[in-house]
Amino acid sequence: MNYPVWDVPTIGSGWVIGLIAIFHVMISHFAIGGGLYLPFAEARAIKKGRKDWLEFLPKHAKFFLILTAVYGAVSGVGIWFAIGLAAPEATSTLIHNFVFGWAIEWVFFLIELTTAAVYYYTWNRIPQRLHLKVGWLYAGTSFLTLFIINGILSFMLTPGAAWLAVAGSGEESSRFFQAFFNPTFWPSLFLRTLVCLSLAGVWALVTASRIDGYEKPALKSEVIRFSALWLLPAFFLMPLCFVWYLMMVPESQRVLLQLGISTIGAGTFTQVTRAVLVTVMSSATIVGVVYFIAYRSPRDFRFGYACAILVLALMATASTEQAREMLRKPYVVGEHMYSNAVRKTPVRVGDESIPEVERFDRDGYLTHSIWATDREKQAWAAWDAQRARAAILQAAGDAPVLHPPVTPEILRRGELMFRGQCLACHTTDGYRPMRRYLHGRDRDSIGNLLAMLRASAPDSPYRAYMPPLVGTDREVESLAIWLDALVNGPSETATPQVAAVAAE
Amino acid sequence: MQKSSSPVFENRALAAVWDFADERLGLSDMIAFAKKKQVPQHEHSFWYYWGGISLFFFLVQCFTGVLLLVYYRPGVEAYESVRQITYDIEFGWLVRSAHSWSANLMVVAIFVHMFSVFFMKAYRRPREFGWWSGLGLLGLAMVFGFSGYLLPMDELAYFATKVGLEIPMSIPVVGPFLGDLIRGGPDVGENTVQRFFALHVVILPALFVPLLMFHLWLVQRHGNAVPPGEEIKPAERRRSIPFFPNFLAKDLAMWLIALNVLAVLASLYPWELGPQADPLAPAPLGIHPEWYFMSQFQVLKVFGAWFPGIVGEALGILLFTAGGIVWALIPLYDPDSRNGQRARIATWLGFAALVGLIILTAWGYLAL
Repeated sequence: MNYPVWDVPTIGSGWVIGLIAIFHVMISHFAIGGGLYLPFAEARAIKKGRKDWLEFLPKHAKFFLILTAVYGAVSGVGIWFAIGLAAPEATSTLIHNFVFGWAIEWVFFLIELTTAAVYYYTWNRIPQRLHLKVGWLYAGTSFLTLFIINGILSFMLTPGAAWLAVAGSGEESSRFFQAFFNPTFWPSLFLRTLVCLSLAGVWALVTASRIDGYEKPALKSEVIRFSALWLLPAFFLMPLCFVWYLMMVPESQRVLLQLGISTIGAGTFTQVTRAVLVTVMSSATIVGVVYFIAYRSPRDFRFGYACAILVLALMATASTEQAREMLRKPYVVGEHMYSNAVRKTPVRVGDESIPEVERFDRDGYLTHSIWATDREKQAWAAWDAQRARAAILQAAGDAPVLHPPVTPEILRRGELMFRGQCLACHTTDGYRPMRRYLHGRDRDSIGNLLAMLRASAPDSPYRAYMPPLVGTDREVESLAIWLDALVNGPSETATPQVAAVAAE
Repeated sequence: MQKSSSPVFENRALAAVWDFADERLGLSDMIAFAKKKQVPQHEHSFWYYWGGISLFFFLVQCFTGVLLLVYYRPGVEAYESVRQITYDIEFGWLVRSAHSWSANLMVVAIFVHMFSVFFMKAYRRPREFGWWSGLGLLGLAMVFGFSGYLLPMDELAYFATKVGLEIPMSIPVVGPFLGDLIRGGPDVGENTVQRFFALHVVILPALFVPLLMFHLWLVQRHGNAVPPGEEIKPAERRRSIPFFPNFLAKDLAMWLIALNVLAVLASLYPWELGPQADPLAPAPLGIHPEWYFMSQFQVLKVFGAWFPGIVGEALGILLFTAGGIVWALIPLYDPDSRNGQRARIATWLGFAALVGLIILTAWGYLAL
C-alpha cells in the first residue's frame, strides 16, 4: 500500500478509465482503420481518374486529422494518466516490464502524427504519388502503434507461463518478448484490426453523409457503398477471431463466460456474458442498419443516420471493452496481480519469497502502510491486545465478556482496509455500492462474508471474480466494523461472534 | 413459357411462387402503389419514424403478451405465476422484461410521436382525425400500462396501483364510484387483478386495434404532413423518396435499432419482481405511480397541499382535464396551413406543455 488511493465517488475510478477508454477506442481504432481507408481510396480514385472523389477525400482527411490527432492523442494520454492513479501497482508492473515497448510505440506515434499532418496539408501541393506514399507511411506506422499496444494490453489478460515463472523475482523484463507475444496477442491483434476496418467505414459514413445526394448522386452513392463495405470483413471474420481469442484465454477466465451462457435461460448469467450479448446484438444491428439505411438507399443517407450508427458503434465498443475487463477478473494482471493490487505470485522481500496473500495475512496489510500514523498504529496494537484477551475469555466461557469499544482509530483502520482492497472496484453508494450490497446484513453477517472472501475456497461463489481479502484477523474485523457502521450506523463494541472466530 | 412478373425474385422457383400469390392476391398492384407513394425528405424527416417505432413496440407487446398469457394466472395465484415466469420458466425473465420494457418504450415513442406531430403542425386540415385518433391511442396505451402494472401483484405494483387510483377517485361526484368499479371492492385485491386482467387482455386490445387501424388508414390516405417551413418551398425544391423500398428499408432499420435498445434494456436490466403484496403491511417509502402518470400525480399533490380537502383535488383534476381538452382541440384553433398569429401561439402552447410535463415529472420524482 505504497501508493495513494484515488477515491472517485459515485462512478469509481474504474469508470473514469472506462469512460475515457470507450471514446478513445472509437477514435484510436479509427486512426488506424481510417489510415488505411484514405490512401486506399485515394489510390483507387487516381487509378479510375475520379476527380470528384479526390475533391471529397481531403474533406474526410481533415475530419480524420482533427478527430484522431487532437482527441485521440489527448484521450490516449488521459487513459495512462487515469490508470496510473486508479491502479498504480499494476501500472508500475507494466512500466517496469514494457518501458522499451512504450519507447518504440512513441517513435511510431511521433511518425504517425507527423505524417497525418503532412498528408492533409500537402493535398494537391506535392506530386500525387509522393502524397500517396505519405498516406501509406501513415497507415504503416499507425498500425505499428496498435501492434505495440496490443502486446501490452493482451499481456494484462494472459501474461504467459514464461513471464509468470519469473514474476516477482525482479527479472521480469528478461522475458519481454515472451510477455509481449503472449497467448492472446495474435487473436487480439486480428480482432482489433477488424474493429479498425469497421470503424473506418462507420466514420467515413459520417463525412459521406454530408455530400448532397441530389447534387452529386453518383459520388454520394459510391462513397457510401464503398464505406459500408469496410464493415464486411468484421461481419464475416469477427466471430471466428472471437472464438480463437476465447480459446487462448485461461480456463479459469473462460468459465465466467461459460457459466453465464449456460444459465442464460434462468436469467442468472454473469456480467461478462451480458456485456458480450450487448456486443453481439449491437454489432449485428450495425450491419443491418448500415445495409438498410446506407447501402440500400445511399443517396438519402443523412447525417442523423450516421450519428445513429455511431451511437450503436459506441455501444458495441463500450460493451466489448467492459467484457474484456470483466474477463480478466479477479486479476488486473492475469494470474499475477489481483484487482486489489495484491500479488498472487511470490514476491522476494529480503531473503523471503512468498505470495503477498500469505505475507499480508501473517504480517498485516496495514503494518507497513505509510498512510497510517504511528499514533494510529499504536492504538490498533492496544486494541488488538484487548480483543485478544476478550477472545480468550470468550473461549473459556467466562461471562460477561467486555469487548473493547470501537474507537475512531479502529474505524479508520477499517476504512483504510476498504480503500486499499475494495475501492478499486466498489464505491460506497454509486457503482457496485457497498451500502446496497450489504443492505440487511448485521455485523456478524458482514464478518461471515469477509471470512468467505478471505478464505477464497475453491468452491466459493466469489472466487471466480473477487480477489482474496488479505490481512490479520483484527484488520478484517476492523473492516467488518467499518462496513457495519457504513450500512447500519456506528456501533460501540465488537461482536462476540467475531471474537469467537478470532479465538479459534 | 410466360415470363415471371416478380419484381423481387430472379430464381425460377421463387418467381413461380410469387406469380402464384400475385395472381390471387394482387401483390404487384400493392407494390406498385407503395412505390408510387412518396415520403417527404427534409431536415425534420427523422421524426417520421416515431409512429413506426411506436407500432413496433406495440407488436412486441402483442407477441410477448401472448407468451406471458400462456403461464399467467390471474386471481389468488397471480404473484406465484409471475414468480414462476421470472425464476422457474426458461427465458421467462426475458419475455417478461421485454414486455415491461417495451410497454414503457411504447409510451415514450408515442409521446415523442405526438409532440413531433404537434410541432410539425401535422394536425391541421385534413389530418384532424389523425390527431384525435392518435390521442385516443396514447390514452389507451397509458391505461394498458396502468392495468398491466398491477398484474404481478408484488408490493410495488400493489401500492403503486393504490396511489394511481387516487387520480380517478379524486374526480368530484363520480370519483368514489369509479374507484369501486375499477377495484371491484373497497380495496385493491384479487377482484381488482381479475378486472385489470380482463381490461388488459380483452377490452383494451378490442378498442386499441380498430383505432390503430383507423389511424394507419388515415396516414395512408393523407400521407406524411410536411412542416410549414417546408410547405413554403417551391415544388421543385421539395424532395421526397418512394415509400417502397426506400422509406420502408429505413423504417426497418429503425425497428432494428428499437429492437436493439429493447434487447439491451431487457437483458442488462431485467424487470424485477418484488416481495408479494401484503395489504396489511405499511406502504414502503417512495411509492409512486408509473412515470407517465407522475405529472398528474404531482399536480394533485401540489393542489392538495395548497387547497386542503376536496377543493384541491377538484382543482387539480380540473387543471389537467382542461389542459387535455385544449390540447385535443388544437386542430380547431390552428387549422390553417399559413403561419399566422394562431400558429405561433399554438407552437408556444406546445413548448409550454412539453416543458410543463418534464418539470412536473421531475418534480414528482424529486419530491418522493
